[in-house]
Amino acid sequence: MSKRKFFFTLPAQLPLMSSRRLHRSRSKLSPRARKFLLLTIFLGPCIVMIALFWFGPVFLTVFLSFTDMSIRRAEWHWVGLENYFNIGKHPFTMKVVVNTAIYVSCTLLWNVFVGLLLALLTYYMDERSALFYRALWLLPRSSPPVVYGLLWLWVLDPTEYGLLNQFVLALGLSDKPINWLMEYPMLFIILINGFVGCSFGMIVFSSALKSIPRDYIIAARVDGASEWRIIKDIILPLLKWPLMFVTAWQTLSLLASYEYILIVTNGGPFYATEVWSLFAYHQAFEHLELGFGAALAMVLVIVSIICVVAYMKVFKFRRMISPAKIEIA
Amino acid sequence: MYRGRRSVVNPYSYRIKRALMKAVIYGVMTAATIPLIMMYLWLFMQSISDRVLVGFIPTNFSIRGWRFLWQEIKFGEVTIPMIWPIALNSLIIAGGVTVFEVSIALLAGYALSRIEFPLRDKMLLLIIALHAFPGITLLIATFYLLHLMGLINTLFGVIIAKAAFEIPMAAWLIKGFFDAIPWDVEASALVDGCSRLQAWRKVILPLVKPGIAAVSIFAFLAGWNEFIFAYTFLFDPNLFPLSVHVLNLIGEFRYVDYSLLAATALFYCIPPLVFFVLTQKYLMQVQVGGVKGA
Amino acid sequence: MVSVRLVDLCKYFGSVKAVDGLNLEIKDGEFVVLLGPSGCGKTTTLFCIAGIYKPTKGRIYFDEIDVTDWPPKDRNIGMVFQSYALYPHMTVFDNIAFPLKLKKLPKQEIARRVREVAKMLQIDHLLDRYPAQLSGGQQQRVALARALVKQPDVFLLDEPLSNLDAKLRILMRAELKRLQKELKITTVYVTHDQAEAMTLADRIAVMNEGKLQQYGPPDEIYNRPANVFVAGFIGAPPMNLLDCSLVERDGRYVLDFTSFEIELPRELGEVVRSRASSSEVVFGVRPEDLKISKGPATSAIKGVVYVTEPLGREVIVNVRIGDHIIKVIESASTASEIAAGQEVWVVLDFNRVHIFDRKTGKLVV
Ligand SMILES: Nc1ncnc2c1ncn2[C@@H]1O[C@H](COP(=O)(O)OP(=O)(O)O)[C@@H](O)[C@H]1O
Ligand SMILES: [Mg+2]
Repeated sequence: MSKRKFFFTLPAQLPLMSSRRLHRSRSKLSPRARKFLLLTIFLGPCIVMIALFWFGPVFLTVFLSFTDMSIRRAEWHWVGLENYFNIGKHPFTMKVVVNTAIYVSCTLLWNVFVGLLLALLTYYMDERSALFYRALWLLPRSSPPVVYGLLWLWVLDPTEYGLLNQFVLALGLSDKPINWLMEYPMLFIILINGFVGCSFGMIVFSSALKSIPRDYIIAARVDGASEWRIIKDIILPLLKWPLMFVTAWQTLSLLASYEYILIVTNGGPFYATEVWSLFAYHQAFEHLELGFGAALAMVLVIVSIICVVAYMKVFKFRRMISPAKIEIA
Repeated sequence: MYRGRRSVVNPYSYRIKRALMKAVIYGVMTAATIPLIMMYLWLFMQSISDRVLVGFIPTNFSIRGWRFLWQEIKFGEVTIPMIWPIALNSLIIAGGVTVFEVSIALLAGYALSRIEFPLRDKMLLLIIALHAFPGITLLIATFYLLHLMGLINTLFGVIIAKAAFEIPMAAWLIKGFFDAIPWDVEASALVDGCSRLQAWRKVILPLVKPGIAAVSIFAFLAGWNEFIFAYTFLFDPNLFPLSVHVLNLIGEFRYVDYSLLAATALFYCIPPLVFFVLTQKYLMQVQVGGVKGA
Repeated sequence: MVSVRLVDLCKYFGSVKAVDGLNLEIKDGEFVVLLGPSGCGKTTTLFCIAGIYKPTKGRIYFDEIDVTDWPPKDRNIGMVFQSYALYPHMTVFDNIAFPLKLKKLPKQEIARRVREVAKMLQIDHLLDRYPAQLSGGQQQRVALARALVKQPDVFLLDEPLSNLDAKLRILMRAELKRLQKELKITTVYVTHDQAEAMTLADRIAVMNEGKLQQYGPPDEIYNRPANVFVAGFIGAPPMNLLDCSLVERDGRYVLDFTSFEIELPRELGEVVRSRASSSEVVFGVRPEDLKISKGPATSAIKGVVYVTEPLGREVIVNVRIGDHIIKVIESASTASEIAAGQEVWVVLDFNRVHIFDRKTGKLVV
């Protein structure tokens, strides 16, 4: 590198000294108009999509639930609250409520517990194996639901070729293959959803664990605390908010989700795995009663709105919002 | 209580205890993970053999399962078409969802992160609320909406509905990426002569490329894996994507030709698996390159 | 080139008044330094001039044209940010060329001007690198080049030297001053470093809590601080400022510090009496305007040496007088004979004494 001089060497004719005058060609719009235009460009598409595909359907659900609209018939009538009364009268309503309660609560318990377990186990591993195991547990979430469902159908295959039956027969626990989905439908529906659901907790808890200062734990170890006490007295209290968050979040998504049930049992056998959201789906698209289905969906929509509003209060989402620093358009 | 213990800590027994603990941790984890691995291993083995034993041991090697790649398959009355037009439908849905979702979220995420406007905080709350709200409960109404718009039984209808459902999450994610860019860099672009639109395009977007890539991958996979919307909104078999195709195969041929089913499912899984393997490393590196002092 | 005028400029962030009623006129080609403690609203003022912030109140004029509502791109401003704000995804060349590309200049013209300014700032060998591959000083030159290449009407610098190490800072300070004098661009320079301000500025605007405290040439700021804040902020070590009250006793004027007294010359005492709002005043004197005497002298106060702080050529002698500690700068040779605990006399020069009104903080004499 050449030796640099102390001062700039300014050329005789300075490049920057050409005669300058205030730049007068400028946008003709007023600041307000510019801002409005800018917001239209940036927020317009999003607002249109949200209005159309979020608010639109909410109002349509309300509207449909007051009609006898059906895919079978061309004409429709207002029926007032009849659809809602029919929910009470439907012979399977009670069964569906019980199913939903069992499905949501058990899957939730499994998801939170297994998610926490996976997060703790990987927390104690070295970085690479932790990453490897977490990635494996993310597989069910990232593979297409149809394929994941197919894998379980094979595991639970009622013939002697199913994975579970191969084991049961080999170990002599039974002398003939068991039809798992006939015998224990709800148990396996919970497991099938649980293997997908637990990875959510695993991710949230893992990142929360990562943010616990290592010093805390080392200090406790130096003090001679057992690993169990460290978990109980240091880690779990720090995971309070993530635990609440995962529970809240998953309650809502479990209440509304039925994808895997639809693929694996389609609510069967004999309504044994029919949960509320699937019930609504079947009424609308199998029995073709959009009105009645919408009334069932409306119940979920209302529950969800109440939950979301409550969560926003509890988790203080306002804290995440900071003002913009550039103010002009 | 632990104070007393400390004085009697024996380094040797302590080390044994630690090693034991490590063994238990890895043992439990591996035992729990084996069924998972076996399931996916089976898919692969079954697709290249006639029959699989004890989970994953293939017997007769055969690529008959993969014949959908080059021919139509006839089972009595039923004909299974070649895979390519079906895969194309999936590709169109996934690509369409990605383009729609990401472009709208890039615009909205920027506005939410960087532009001051009335009701901005309300809008942010709304986006989070929608992100938490289970949109699938609106499926029936969405069906009716698409019907009103004349988009039922079209790929575009599936694309636009799916994209709309994913937009709150995508906008929120992308807002996070924009938030990480120093204000000074954008202010500097404005002083240098950009309008805000130009600053967004020429300075801000290049800086969030890793974020865009990540969100695009999520969007693509969401579209590729999409099942309920396609299953509900499409009736014409020529429009079916792979998800609906595989489900139909499960219904009709589960006990007839396991290899065909496994191979088709595996074929369907290839993009998610490839992305899955690639993104494990990549997602760790998602961070915006900053400038000193910023 | 242009002059800049700020009229009653206000910028509030919610309840925080970052800039509050600022009036400032910057002449064509003048180098003005905005000086004040951090958080006093300097950057906010600069951002308002650049058009990045919209003022809550007040107007901004360039050459008598009201530009308050103009977007930054129309103001033809060159700005250097405290963080430099280089574009990390562009090479040094592209960083410098960026403003010119936006003006849609022809390619050769852009290349020519980039090379010229890069040569002038001695970064022409770095044009292919990325900002992350540069040292702090080099990044700073790139930021300067990018701001200058567009031939701005107004040049804004926000603490451009604060991220450099001490040696480079002094070097760049001289370079910057020379550059501005040669190019004659109207310049507003922000800093919290009073030494920087004194060496660079044609005029200094001292700010505190969003308000302008004093605006004038460096020597005026130094010799006639308009109020207690400016007096305490300018100068290192800072001016000795002591609370006291003016007492008239048998026709003589005395400053009562409770633990000791100073008698004022008659005419000075009369001026203070007539101008101050009450007898409560602040007495100020710079350490460099005081002398130490080992024996009693006229207009000298007796005290005890508390501690000495040698600085090489000079020594700061801390003298305890009553309950107060007073700092005095003495040459090293005189100070070498002084030890802690020793009794000394601090000699005042009443021509170099400042008296402020304690209520308003304003300079009385
Ligand atoms: N975008 C903003 N939002 C809210 N408060 C701000 C913002 N920018 C600056 N402030 C506040 O305004 C005051 C002045 O800030 P600033 O102009 O950056 O000070 P300086 O540059 O003199 O250190 C500070 O109290 C700061 O906290
Ligand atoms: Mg500042």
